[in-house]
This record gives sequence, structure tokens and C-alpha cells, in this order.
Amino acid sequence: MNDVTVNLAKGASRRFQQITQFIAPISLLSLVSIATLLQPSFLSINNIQDILTQAAPLALVVLGQAFVILVRGLDLSVASLMASAAVLATAFNATSDAMIPVIFLVTIVASACVGLINGLLVTKRNVSPFLATLAMMIVLQGIRFYYTQGAPSGSLPEGFRVLGAGRLTGIPVNMLVFFLFFFILGWLLHKSSFGRRVYITGGNPKSANLVGIYADRVIIICYVISSLMAGISGLILVGFVGTVDNWVGRGYEIDSIVACVLGGIMLNGGKGTLWGAVTGALILILMFNIVIILGLPVQAQLIIKGIIIIFVAGLFSRSIQT
Amino acid sequence: MMLSKSNNRVRRLKLDPSLIIVILLLAIVIVCGFFLNERFGTMRNFMNVLEQSSGLGFASIGQAMVVIVGGIDLSIGAIITASTVFMAAVVDVHPGLMIPMIFGTLLFGVAIGFCNGYLTLKTGVHPLIVTLGTASILNGSVLIYTLQPTGGVPYWFEEFAYGRIWNVPISGAVMIVCFALVWLFLHYYQTGRAFYAVGGSPEAAHLCGIQSNRVILLAYSASGFFAALAGIYFVSRTGVGDPRIGDPITLSSITPVILGGLILGGGKGNIFGVLLGVIFISLLSNLLNYMNISTFIQWVIQGVIIIIAVSVYVHKGKNL
Repeated sequence: MNDVTVNLAKGASRRFQQITQFIAPISLLSLVSIATLLQPSFLSINNIQDILTQAAPLALVVLGQAFVILVRGLDLSVASLMASAAVLATAFNATSDAMIPVIFLVTIVASACVGLINGLLVTKRNVSPFLATLAMMIVLQGIRFYYTQGAPSGSLPEGFRVLGAGRLTGIPVNMLVFFLFFFILGWLLHKSSFGRRVYITGGNPKSANLVGIYADRVIIICYVISSLMAGISGLILVGFVGTVDNWVGRGYEIDSIVACVLGGIMLNGGKGTLWGAVTGALILILMFNIVIILGLPVQAQLIIKGIIIIFVAGLFSRSIQT
Repeated sequence: MMLSKSNNRVRRLKLDPSLIIVILLLAIVIVCGFFLNERFGTMRNFMNVLEQSSGLGFASIGQAMVVIVGGIDLSIGAIITASTVFMAAVVDVHPGLMIPMIFGTLLFGVAIGFCNGYLTLKTGVHPLIVTLGTASILNGSVLIYTLQPTGGVPYWFEEFAYGRIWNVPISGAVMIVCFALVWLFLHYYQTGRAFYAVGGSPEAAHLCGIQSNRVILLAYSASGFFAALAGIYFVSRTGVGDPRIGDPITLSSITPVILGGLILGGGKGNIFGVLLGVIFISLLSNLLNYMNISTFIQWVIQGVIIIIAVSVYVHKGKNL
């Protein structure tokens, strides 16, 4: 009898999990329909382009954050790294577009180093990811402010503006960059053997070691991916805004974690898809947009964000428990 | 609990290993301070530092209690902000309500903390996410109410932050008393000992007959209480309700907890270490200020110290 009940429970939980897969897309769709009802011009091409342009930087960070959360980590340093990458890029004071590849290369290598340090601290020194990346966030912030003395200056070549705010036959360029990385990372996570190793490591690092996976190496690569995405996102955001600021991307560390959770990536690792995480990011951005459409004060975004976080996260974890 | 007393005594004779690192750090700062600056080593300076550290101290006590039961509270800053604005706004209109409002604000903090605990238990969501959610709601509500510092408190209320009795700052003394009471509670009361049991393993604690849920609720409520106390301290210090005052404190309340040898994931650590951590952070920034080192470099130093402190002990810890 016990077996039967267990099997029944298993079936029920599997069905429930299948249902939870659709929570994020369904809430995204309902948000879109609410927005369209409230403001018919919401679905106009112009507005969609605007929303996508706003969503791209966050979505890029979310791609990286998803990898880290899948291996039971957290990356709180992404926002600080975005601003640092932006400051580093403007530090060249370059005016000609010929410098763009150099700027890109230097920023990306620097970002990767940050991810490497995060990963090494987490794996080799067993520092909890929360603390390692928190400390990294503070260190980066200190270095950045010391370098800029609180008032960043410097300029970017015109080409960066195209990257952040340009349109290619109507499609925002930063969205194209996002799709490029979405496909690369999506392939990496869902089609390549590395992706399987990520899921196995996230499911249980010890048993991953036992089946011959270098769990440490997988985890380090995930942190490097997260930092790379944050660096690239910082470059795009600085291209979008046009001037550099010490707080480029402020709040993205929290928003990216929230987007992952909304998209069904579990904080205890090993479950969730990249597609879900991106849906989560879109939900967040849409929600901010709807608050503005409704004419509510901007601060209401915070309240609604809080309610959604608790509510949706509660839905997901309930589905695990059953 | 009834664990053999002799065992306890032996443990007390040996220095708690988790305290060594913070004591070392504290010693380094104090010795360096005496050599580097003649104004650092004066009684007056120490008393000033004690006075200034109280806000961080109150916030850290609450954070420590939640960390011991295996959670984390990222809504501390938001509770501090909300309670300063709440208190200053009400007292500004009804100055007579000053004393009741002290209790009202503390109760408000407890209520928010209780909500945190309840939601964590009820939804099963990671406390990190739940407390982020409540923090977001609180911050949003406060910012809708006001964008700049508002309200005010009677002039005499400044005594709590700036007053001295026999040259000892009142706020600092209250902080140390709070630490002592919490230490007594955690080590000599059954419910207090249960904090460690629940932090070590909620299931095992439950099987031993401890009502884990109540302990966790108590921890979050205490965190809300101490955050509100920190809020009251800041009202008394600044005289207004500032809608941004708590922001930086959420994360900085974690630093002393970690330096003091508590482990994220719960079940270990001595609250006395947290007090030393608070004093260390305050003395360090005091010394660096005397040495004219910019705040920005101080951030770098703070980050590096966290990394060093945490990676010296290789935790076979749980994840957070």
C-alpha cells in the first residue's frame, strides 16, 4: 500500500512540476494582456522595442546568474562588476572606434578574472558564495570609487552608443547581442556535455565528483560565465546611457536573482532552465513598465516587486514539497 | 541544557577557536592605533567609538540570532528605515506620544520580523528571498510616503544617542547590555540553547522535541526588534526619519557576524564574538579616518578582511 501511495505522490508531484514549468510563461502572457488592456499602444512596435532595449542588460546578467544558481551559488558581485566594467571602459578615454576591440578585450578579461577569484574562493577555500561575492562586491566598489574619486569621467567612442541604443533594421542592437549569448549559453547548458555536468554538480557536488566530474572546475566556470555576462552587460548599459556612472546597474544583483527565482531556478541548485530565467527577467521588466503605465509612483515598483517575489517563490517551493 | 558541567568548564578554559580571529584582528588594530596616532589611544576616543558603533551593534545582534538558526535577514536595513520614519512622523504630530512610540516602534519591528519568520516557514522559500521581498515592500512604502527626511523628535530624546552617564555613552551601554542579555539567553536558557540545535539541524531538533518553528519565529522577531532598536537609535542621533538611512546597514550588519565566527548556515558561534566584531569594525574605520585614508580604500580593506576571515576557517558548511 505504501508503494502505491508513494507512486501516487510521485506522479502528483511530477504533474505539479510540469504545471510549475508553465507558471512563468503564463504570468508573462497575463502581464502582457493586462498591459495591453490598460494601454492599447502597449503592443506597438515602438514600445516593444523600448521594452526589449531596457530588458537586454538585465537579461544578460540573468543568463550568467542562472549558471551560478544552478551550481548552488549566488553572485552578488554582478552589479558592482557592471559599474566597474563601465568605469574601466571609459578609463581609456578613447575617441576613435578603432579602440573598441581593445576596450572590449581588456574589460572582458578583467571581468573573467573577477569571476575566477569568486569561483576559486567558493571552491578551493569553501567560502560561502554569499560572502565571497559580497566581499568581492565591496572590494570592487572601493577600487572603483578610489579610482574615480567619486566623480567618474572619461569618454567612450561613438561605436558604443550603437551597441547600447542602436537599431539594426528596427531591432535593438543590444537585443541582438543578448540573443547571441542566449543561443551560445543555451546550447552550452542544454545541449553540450558541459551543461549536463552543470546540472549534475548542482544536484549534488559530492556525487558529481564520484561519477568523475571535476565539480570545482564546473563551478569555477559558472562563476566566470556570470562575471563575463555582467561585464558585457555593463558595457551595453554604459553604451545605452551614454555617460559613465559609479552606480551603473545598481540593484541588478538582486533583480537578477529574483528573475531567476521567478523563472523557476531553484536556489538549492540543479533545477531550472535558461529559458525560464529569461522569462523571469521579462516579467520583472514588464511589471516595472505596467506600474508606469498605470501612472503609479515609481516607488510602487518596489512594493509590487516584493509581493511578487514572495508569492511566486512560495508557489514554486510548495511544488517541491509536495 | 543539562550537558555535563565539567565539560562546559573545560570548554570555557580553552579559548573558543571561533573567537581567535576576531581577537587577533582587534589586537592588531589597537596596537597599530597606539603607535600610529596619539589621539587614537585615549579614553575619550574609545567612548566616542562605542557611541558610534551602537547602531551597527543593535542591527548585528538581530542578524546574529537569525544566522544562528540557519537563516539570514536582508530586511534589517528596511526595518531600520521604516521604524525611523514611522517614529519621527508620528512623534512630529503628537509630541506627547514620545514614550509610547518607543514601545510602538519596537512592536512594529517585532511584527515585521514575525512576518518574515512566518512567511519563511509557511512558504518554505529561502529566507534570503523572503526577507528581500519584505525589504522591497517596506522600502517602497516608505519611499511613497516621503522622499526626503521628515518628522522630528523632541530635543531631549538626543540623550539616548549622545548622552553620557559617568562618561559612558548611554547608547553604547545599552548595546553592551543587549549583547550580554542575548548571550545569557542563548547559553543558559533552554529556548536559547534550542537556537543552536535548530541551526545545526532543524529536523534533528524537531525529533528531540524542540518546536523548531517557534524558535525560528522567535529569532526573526528578535531580529525585527533589534532592527527597530537600531532605528530608534538613528532617530535619536539624527533627529529625523530618514528614508535611506538603513540601506547600507543590511549588508554591513553581516560583516561583524561573520568576523565573530558565526557561520552562515547556522548552529555555531558565540554572540560575544559579534560584539568584538562590531567593536573591531568601528575601531578600524576610526583608525583609518585618523590616518586620512579615504572611505573608498576603507571599503576595499573591509572586503579583503571578510575574505581573509572567512577563508581562514575552511567551513564544511551548508550553502547559502
